[in-house]
Amino acid sequence: MTPTTPEVGGMGHSIKRREDPRFLQGKGNYVDDVHLPRMVYGQVVRSPFAHARIRGINTEAAKKAPGVLAVITGEDLAKANLAWMPTLFHDKQMVLATGKVLFQAQEVAFVVAETQYQAADAAELVEVDYEELPVLVDPHRALDANAPVLREDREEKSNHIFHWEVGDRQATQKAIQDAPVKVALDAVFQRCHPAPLETCGCVADLNTATGRLTVWLTSQAPHAHRTLFALVGGIPEENIRVISPDIGGGFGNKVPIYPGYVCAVVASLQLGRPVKWIETRSENLQSTGFARDYHMTAEIAADRDGKVKALRVKTLADHGAFNAAAQPSKFPAGLFSICTGSYDFPSAFCEVDGVYTNKAPGGIAYRCSFRVTEAAYLIERATDSLAYELKMDPAELRRKNFIPKETFPYRSPLGWTYDSGNYDAAMKLALDMIGYDDLRKEQAEKRKRGELMGIGVSSFTEIVGAGPAHTFDIVGIKMFDSCEIRVHPTGKAIARLGTKSQGQGHETTFPQIIAQELGIPANDILLEEGDTDTAPYGLGTYASRSTPVAGAATAICARKIRDKARKIAAHLLEASEADLEWEPGKFYVKGAPSKSKTIQEIAFAAYTNLPEGMEAGLEAVDYYDPPNLTFPFGTYICVVDIDKGTGEVKVRRFVAVDDCGNIINPMIVEGQIHGGLTEGFAIAFMQLISYDEQGNVQGGNFMDYLLPTAVETPHWETGKTCTPSPHHPIGAKGVGESPNVGSPAAFVNAVVDALSHLGVRHIDMPVTPWKVWQILHQNGIS
Amino acid sequence: MTARPVHVTLNGAEREAMAEPRLLLIHFIRDVLQQTGTHLGCDTTNCGACTVLLDGRPIKSCTYFAVQADGKKITTVEGLLSNGKMHPLQEGFREEHGLQCGFCTPGMMMSALALLERNPDPSEAEIRAGISGNLCRCTGYQNIVKAIQYAAAKMKKGATA
Amino acid sequence: MAVRIEKTFEVKHPIEAVWAMLSDPRKVVSCVPGAQITETIDDRNFKGSIRVKVGPSLTEFKGEVHIERLDEQAHEIELSGKGQDIRGKGGASMTMTGTLTALDDGGARVHAVSEITVVGILAQFGARMMNDVSDVIFKEFTTRFQNLLDHPGEAQAPAEPVSGVKLAGSVIGHSIRRVLGGDDEESK
Repeated sequence: MTPTTPEVGGMGHSIKRREDPRFLQGKGNYVDDVHLPRMVYGQVVRSPFAHARIRGINTEAAKKAPGVLAVITGEDLAKANLAWMPTLFHDKQMVLATGKVLFQAQEVAFVVAETQYQAADAAELVEVDYEELPVLVDPHRALDANAPVLREDREEKSNHIFHWEVGDRQATQKAIQDAPVKVALDAVFQRCHPAPLETCGCVADLNTATGRLTVWLTSQAPHAHRTLFALVGGIPEENIRVISPDIGGGFGNKVPIYPGYVCAVVASLQLGRPVKWIETRSENLQSTGFARDYHMTAEIAADRDGKVKALRVKTLADHGAFNAAAQPSKFPAGLFSICTGSYDFPSAFCEVDGVYTNKAPGGIAYRCSFRVTEAAYLIERATDSLAYELKMDPAELRRKNFIPKETFPYRSPLGWTYDSGNYDAAMKLALDMIGYDDLRKEQAEKRKRGELMGIGVSSFTEIVGAGPAHTFDIVGIKMFDSCEIRVHPTGKAIARLGTKSQGQGHETTFPQIIAQELGIPANDILLEEGDTDTAPYGLGTYASRSTPVAGAATAICARKIRDKARKIAAHLLEASEADLEWEPGKFYVKGAPSKSKTIQEIAFAAYTNLPEGMEAGLEAVDYYDPPNLTFPFGTYICVVDIDKGTGEVKVRRFVAVDDCGNIINPMIVEGQIHGGLTEGFAIAFMQLISYDEQGNVQGGNFMDYLLPTAVETPHWETGKTCTPSPHHPIGAKGVGESPNVGSPAAFVNAVVDALSHLGVRHIDMPVTPWKVWQILHQNGIS
Repeated sequence: MTARPVHVTLNGAEREAMAEPRLLLIHFIRDVLQQTGTHLGCDTTNCGACTVLLDGRPIKSCTYFAVQADGKKITTVEGLLSNGKMHPLQEGFREEHGLQCGFCTPGMMMSALALLERNPDPSEAEIRAGISGNLCRCTGYQNIVKAIQYAAAKMKKGATA
Repeated sequence: MAVRIEKTFEVKHPIEAVWAMLSDPRKVVSCVPGAQITETIDDRNFKGSIRVKVGPSLTEFKGEVHIERLDEQAHEIELSGKGQDIRGKGGASMTMTGTLTALDDGGARVHAVSEITVVGILAQFGARMMNDVSDVIFKEFTTRFQNLLDHPGEAQAPAEPVSGVKLAGSVIGHSIRRVLGGDDEESK
């Protein structure tokens, strides 16, 4: 790949972001910034009970309150067959409760009023008569004979949602039985929440004159949402326009369709006025798509010299009251079967059972790559367990078992074909950057003095870029993605994609791909996403799929344009196509480089001076079906010091070596990694959404659900290796989620390492000072 | 709830509008005065996205009533641009990639502005403490610190020029 | 979420007089701020309500109180109660055991242990304040209980609902005093 100049700004250049000026001036256009004439406001009335029958709802007082235009209940929606809606995963969920409620904060009614404050006042006046039912919050009790059956709407009267398994049960069983060394680890990946700083919301606007419904929506997948609105709402799809404007962070929280959106649309249809619904932070934490809640057991069998032989994994997945996990339809546990990680396991077996509980629905969120965070955490924690069992250094044990780089493409025992990898190079770089050997010496000395210091290693393999049409779809829609490029006469261009940035910098990075392919300066290319009237169909941005899928579409699309440009150049230069050479930005005649035409001249000619019989214009569209997923990887190493008196863990250093193949914009990649590591840090040390016995959610607002501030967030040191993806047009793999995938284990491994001499082998997250202090206290240290 | 007139100086311009006693300042700024640059990120005064300067002091406008601001000077992100020229903070955030989704950025810059006005030469620890009331999900704060250091350096140079 | 609250206080009245009051829910409830018995079903079962004001809005819980056990010999009463916010914002249930012991000076000691379970918004925000809120309610209760003992037969002005705002103020004051080392007369 020929490098471009900084002025052109192709692959590898850290050009400044195109989207920044408007954000820096406070001129972003987030959904809550949308103000339309005659716009009214909606507010949801929510259940305080986790499980209760609704004996009646009295909306009389609410309807009479000042400014109120409508009060919608489940009964009203049922008349239009909208009280329930399909989830993104083979289930349905209530839009507004009918009959019963199944989790605290579940949507029960929707009030619409002239002002936000009037809607809030009226919501207080809605009276609901509940009859409490026994609550189920422990997933381990969900399948007990006497557990309350939550989903009376299902034919099968049980709380069991699915059983899924992959791998060779028999061979793995035998390998474990025969192995001289085995370890088992129980690890819970706690329920947490992505909490993007902007909450979810929409403005639904039915234009009664044209019959068109426009929905400004916090959506990471605007086209899929449009199609679902059409199918569920019975509105012709060409009459729906979904506009996903600027989004203040997504992290998977803005992939599902929430009842508030549906209610706002219904209200707008009913009133013929724009209806704005923006949830509060509490509503966001308590009712929108949570993340994780996986209760896992891993068993690793190995030889005495540390070579792994088999991996067996069993998981209980708590899905809450509805299965609203937004993931590819054939994978009820997402891509969890990447749990063999970076290691060459001869055999493996994995099974997952999903259950319902009286909690908010969700499960796929928070940069998880479809459960890859859970899988990577499990294997990286279990590998450390094996290291302790063998009394082997954890880095050494990993290097011994890495899939060797010569064996790629590598077929894992659980069915994935990893495209490329060089795990040892990333590990080596990380060890060098952190000064591993010296740290181990320091730790040994500190231990003699009774000081607590730990080093945690995590060598993860990610799986992103969903995905090939033969295996992947979401509610039936295949997971291709798209790019459309149009070059103007003056050599500038506009490109539109089926993805939707929520801060990843697409307006900057995708033009860089085009700049690389066509030599048009990235700053001359306008990039648009999110308006379903104009953007080509795509499945959106989540699971780190934009670069692997839409990025590929962009490159291929640009190459189609280059093919046409070559024809025009040949015409202008009066040479044959075969005699022309290309370098970014121009075609020149072989052997006569001064005889050239720039891409700008060619663009002008596409409208003014075309070869005989050629269509005008210089544009193309590509819908890309990836042949495989991509497999970014890396090694993270974390150093912690623990205060013996308080149990407080201080992250002294954190080195993150990532390999995401060819990088478009190093500055943006580094920013993504900083952000993801900070999320992993939060998850490891301070985040938990839990429920008490009555089903009250704890952690339902920012007083209790903690986000790290600048003070406790550590300093991140990043490094990179580059192992391109052989099947990707620009060799790129995607990286957005890697830091959240790989880091929790690094943090926990470090803390366990600091306490391992006391016999500690595992601590479930969040690793709070209280938990650590209790361990120290029990061991006579605090 | 009878609305009453609230008079403020917003980014140097005199503005007056009616406000119910319970109307929060953030809603007054966003919906009544129609300056939507300042954002709402939570409902428990934790996130700082709504930070504005009130008579030069950073406050969380979600926990302040519009009527309390009567007669006061308010500075929001829209007030940073001066004659079309970016403030050193805005420049620093751009140069150092101190923003990704942009949602926390206005409030973050207001806190940073207040910090630099009271401490023109802050250490990294002082910067981190100075923005500890502003949450960010995207950046991990590292580049925000660099952005503020950039701005501090530029503002110091400008001051001695 | 469940909270356990244990309180003890002493009154300068003979144990039988105190027992006569404690074993009569109508008398006891009249001492709880904002509470009232609305219906007597029988001598063991009552319907009641309690109102709490938070700022301008009034929350009302309606529910039932049941005397589980009444032991004249041991001077022990066990009550259970369960209620729901009338608008469906949440609920609470409670069990309470009250025991009297005679004191040497002719007075009596009242010892009450209650377990309160709260569901809904209260459980999220109120959890933090539960112990302190109960202290404030308890203080007003003991004042009224003492007053009723001192002037039996005299109708007391109905106990005003505890105002959430006023409550917050006094709770915060209470908490701050405690943190600053002030002597807490309820902690006996």
